[in-house]
Amino acid sequence: MTPTQSSIIWQFRAPRMVLGLLAGAMLAVAGGTYQGVFRNPLADPYLLGVAAGAGLGATVAIVDVGGALTTPSWTPLLAFGGAMIAVIVTWAIGGRGLRSSTSTLILAGVAVASLFTSAQTFLQQQSSTNSLARVYIWLLGSLASASWSSVTLVLPYVVVCVAICVAAGRALDVMSVGEDESRSLGLPVRRVRFVVIAASSLGTAAIVSAVGLIGFVGIIVPHIVRLLVGTSYRRILPISVVFGAAFLVFADTIARTVMAPSELPLGVVTAIVGAPVFVIILSLRRQMAT
Amino acid sequence: MSTVELNELSVRAGSVPLISDVTLNVEAGTWCTIVGPNGAGKTTLVETIAGLRRPSHGSVMIAGERVGSMSERERALRVALVTQHPIVPSGMSVRDYVALGRTAYHGLLRPPSADDRQAVENVLNRLALDEYAHRDVVTLSGGERQRMVLARALAQATMVMVLDEPITGLDLRHQITMLELLQKEVHECGLTVIATLHDLTLAGQFADRLVLLDHGRLVLDGPSGEVVRSKELAECYGMKLRVVDVDGADVVIPVRH
Repeated sequence: MTPTQSSIIWQFRAPRMVLGLLAGAMLAVAGGTYQGVFRNPLADPYLLGVAAGAGLGATVAIVDVGGALTTPSWTPLLAFGGAMIAVIVTWAIGGRGLRSSTSTLILAGVAVASLFTSAQTFLQQQSSTNSLARVYIWLLGSLASASWSSVTLVLPYVVVCVAICVAAGRALDVMSVGEDESRSLGLPVRRVRFVVIAASSLGTAAIVSAVGLIGFVGIIVPHIVRLLVGTSYRRILPISVVFGAAFLVFADTIARTVMAPSELPLGVVTAIVGAPVFVIILSLRRQMAT
Repeated sequence: MSTVELNELSVRAGSVPLISDVTLNVEAGTWCTIVGPNGAGKTTLVETIAGLRRPSHGSVMIAGERVGSMSERERALRVALVTQHPIVPSGMSVRDYVALGRTAYHGLLRPPSADDRQAVENVLNRLALDEYAHRDVVTLSGGERQRMVLARALAQATMVMVLDEPITGLDLRHQITMLELLQKEVHECGLTVIATLHDLTLAGQFADRLVLLDHGRLVLDGPSGEVVRSKELAECYGMKLRVVDVDGADVVIPVRH
């Protein structure tokens, strides 16, 4: 191996793969956790406004309103901040109330997401074509800018948040009988919900700030795992960590190579690969059931 | 000493009073059934005893401890709840469903202990659910399903069980089976049961005592035979009721004017 090759592997490929593993694991486990805590199969990690908040933050950094921000180093920071603000606002609006039903929280998430997205659209509309393209690339997600420093930045968040989500599997299984019944079984529903949502949102925000908005992993991987191993979150969540990590690295390999030297947006690849896989497993399961 | 004490209990939803000034003591090892027309506040009362609702005034005490100041876990060790429409999560086995009743014992981070697993097997056996244990919960019939929900509540091994319309939607045979299983727990294990029931005949035949609730107020409280014959009961339902003795059992018959 020439020094150039080994440098490419260690400086670019290795951190890119590690970041892909972390992102896939985090997004998949966060999606599975959201689906459990909201008892809603359509839930994904962006449900409470993480994506819209991060999108606005990143757009502010890229469009650079006042000219004071030196992009691109501000992009992950503002994306992370935007994501956290969006989730906190969502929680402040929808997380209270007498019996704090989860549908209020989901609706608050929808409202906050549209607010942040429209602010982002406004900024984009005011900006130059050059920065428009960069915002667009960021929104579609990419591992191309991965480095060891971005890995070390998100690693602690991902490790802690994945651990919390996986440990919550038993609680989510209890929650499958609904709020009232799980409380009567001894589950402190509100506390569990808060911890679990906080962990999945924080981890997702960290990942999104590093790699942009990679869609589809968070919703599709837990469903594929569910079709394979059943409905218990004690199995779904840890296996989603592994499948999500593997799936995203696989998708990134395709994104990198299919149209080399130019790259496909990762979010496009995850959907193109993920959707057929999901449909195939779904129909296989149906055949097995009949 | 009474196991369950309601002291001047009032519950509101916003400004609407649901339960007003109910005082009631239920002795350990007895069965108390709450009757009354729709909207009388039966479900609210049951949910408040189970700690799902907070009283606006007064208190619920179980074995001398205030339900409102217990943690979810402490409460789950003292009172089990069977709701009117239990949610049955598809994909879960009957054994795993019944094992949910042990959550308060092993906690959320540890797996069930050998004791917990033994308790689950005992209950499955007691309610003749062994042969269904591995089945998916959604494949059970209505009667089996209701027995499974009861099994989960029994696995909690609490001194008090509250049930909201536990026999709704069951055929006659399964209604009686369900109530007999419950009665056995009261007689043999000293379980304290507080249930709501629409069927006045079954309510009278199975409870030691009936409590009549109307518009959130306690109207009458007494031995089953007295309450089913009371003029208050007929008044609450706004119709004429006849009580016929059939082989020593009271049968309540509504009469159209």
